[in-house]
Amino acid sequence: MHEASLVRSLLRQVSDLLIAHDGQAVETIRVEMGPLSGVERLLVEIAFKRQVNDSLCCGATLQIEDVPLSAVCRDCGDEFDIERFRFRCTACDSPRVQVTGGDEFRLLDVDIQTKEKTIPTQATP
Amino acid sequence: MNTTTTIPVNRDVKAELKRQAAEMRQDFARRGTLVINVVSSPGAGKTSLLEATAKHWGGSRRMAVLVGDLATDRDAQRLAPFCPVEQLTTGGACHLEIPLVQRGLEKLGTNDFEFLFIENVGNLVCPASHDLAEHVRVVLLSVTEGDDKPAKYPKMFRTSDVVVVSKMDLLPHVPFSVEAAIADARLIQPDLRIFTVCSLTGEGVADWCEYLDERRQTLVAANAVEETASQ
Ligand SMILES: Nc1nc2c(ncn2[C@@H]2O[C@H](COP(=O)(O)OP(=O)(O)OP(=O)(O)O)[C@@H](O)[C@H]2O)c(=O)[nH]1
Ligand SMILES: [Mg+2]
Ligand SMILES: [Zn+2]
Repeated sequence: MHEASLVRSLLRQVSDLLIAHDGQAVETIRVEMGPLSGVERLLVEIAFKRQVNDSLCCGATLQIEDVPLSAVCRDCGDEFDIERFRFRCTACDSPRVQVTGGDEFRLLDVDIQTKEKTIPTQATP
Repeated sequence: MNTTTTIPVNRDVKAELKRQAAEMRQDFARRGTLVINVVSSPGAGKTSLLEATAKHWGGSRRMAVLVGDLATDRDAQRLAPFCPVEQLTTGGACHLEIPLVQRGLEKLGTNDFEFLFIENVGNLVCPASHDLAEHVRVVLLSVTEGDDKPAKYPKMFRTSDVVVVSKMDLLPHVPFSVEAAIADARLIQPDLRIFTVCSLTGEGVADWCEYLDERRQTLVAANAVEETASQ
């Protein structure tokens, strides 16, 4: 629904990282999304393709990890995945469950190319 | 030569927006303003509920409304007889965002309200993903929409604090089970408070208003504790 603006924000954040780490280029951007992230995978991929080459992340690839909606029970401590938006503990049926994942569009990590600072001990062939 | 370095981040892409919203929410609390984000599908009765709320209080509360509307100022005109109101024209956007709220606040001029209602654009999808710095998110569900809406729009109901089942006067005319709708909604968000109202007759509005008063008192008390603690 608002994937384009989220991707714009993502690319801006990664570009800032690239500058902060004095990198040459961004290789891979890893993100995760889940059933309550409010974004659709296909639309994120399309928005990324459209925008990436107009940004400092030019040439980067996006890796999207699909995560389930996960939760922990505040009564019995059980950790489980929420299926079909049923927010009940699968062990004790308590409704006091806390969502622990799958409700955000998260930037996990970024691979950037940096200039080697130390002198390599072995020459690469 | 170049090497690849992995930079760990592990942060919500919207972290900065969330931080900004949390800060605004805290500011509102400090001023004693309870902010209520009112969401629903188009025509579920948001403006009517706000009219009924204002009528019920009859000027005894300092309230204001920011109302999002794609194209007109009709809702703002309806509410103008009751309280300060600013229209937030979204120019086609399907939901409100914080910058629009901030602009509306500037136009309102003062900020010493006890209750600030933000009537969102009629839409059960996008407003679910946008924190407007509210303390209470209320989703209206009119009986004419069908009792399957909580199950079909889980994020909206998951992120809400209150469900107001509206247009209760029409219940005899439509196949709508209040129990089924509530049961579905509570599976998604067990802590939901539920109210049933008819804004035309005012039935159920007193309970809703009482809840708002309670929420504001809790907010003010919690903030007073915090202020003393930080002194
Ligand atoms: N019968 C009945 N009609 C109602 C009730 N509340 C609102 N309506 C009618 O429903 C229609 C829509 O009400 P609004 O209050 O404008 O709904 P809204 O959610 O603000 O609509 P948008 O801002 O356009 O999304 C109007 O014709 C109201 O008169 C109610 O409790 N009972
Ligand atoms: Mg309205
Ligand atoms: Zn449990």
